[in-house]
Amino acid sequence: MTTEALMEKLKGIVKPYVKSEEGFKNMTENSDFLNDLKINSANLVDVILDIETEFDIIIDNDSMEKMLNVKAAMDIITTKLNEK
Amino acid sequence: MTGNDIVDITAAAVESNWKRTGFLEKIFTQIEQEYIDNAAAPTQMVWRLWTMKESAYKIYTRQFGGRFFAPQKLSCSLLNKNTGLVTINHISYQTITSTANDYIYTIAWPEACADFYSACFAIPGQHSTSQQQFIYEKLIAHYAGIQCADKNNFIVLKEKNNIPFLYCKKEKIKIPVSITHHGSYAAFTIN
Repeated sequence: MTTEALMEKLKGIVKPYVKSEEGFKNMTENSDFLNDLKINSANLVDVILDIETEFDIIIDNDSMEKMLNVKAAMDIITTKLNEK
Repeated sequence: MTGNDIVDITAAAVESNWKRTGFLEKIFTQIEQEYIDNAAAPTQMVWRLWTMKESAYKIYTRQFGGRFFAPQKLSCSLLNKNTGLVTINHISYQTITSTANDYIYTIAWPEACADFYSACFAIPGQHSTSQQQFIYEKLIAHYAGIQCADKNNFIVLKEKNNIPFLYCKKEKIKIPVSITHHGSYAAFTIN
């Protein structure tokens, strides 16, 4: 999957939980889920569960620990997809 | 040094479905899941344990730096109806939780630091910037009041990782504070 396609899918996943329209409009690889997109931390679990469903992967606790920004999420998804 | 966290029960009911498949397993240890299974009010137990983890995380990251999302590493045990213990990497924090009809509020502190002031209140409005301003003003009014000092001497600032402190301009000192806000409720603690 291309980086652009992955980004589009991720945007669709985070959209329902985003509290900052501004942050979402300017979402890049450098965006932080909590500080920039203002996703509340309990909803970060929903983002992770939605990623698991969308990509049919399992995000283990070690990967989840790093899941604080778009770049980390994209790296983890790519790694898990390559392991399949 | 303290950490605190509040959950607005009404807002949480809209924002989070803790009953969705996999949700509890991602956040809670086996023991914590048993607390929830056995609770008379499971929703309140979910948010009590969650606020315990969040408030302990806030002190831990203030003490040791770094950021991570590892709710299971912050392991909770309940001591009685309100008090508990959160342990991460062999470091324990005590907690006290207030459960109201509309919110659940937890304060955590390290063993050696039990002396603090906390206020928990409803906040008006919807816009998060003006709500934040409201909280900051309440915090400053409290501290200026007990110090018999001019409110203008104080400002709430954030260090990297969004860790807040109260800055006294004249004395150039930083006082650690913990601030939490969810839905229509907010709280702060200050030592």
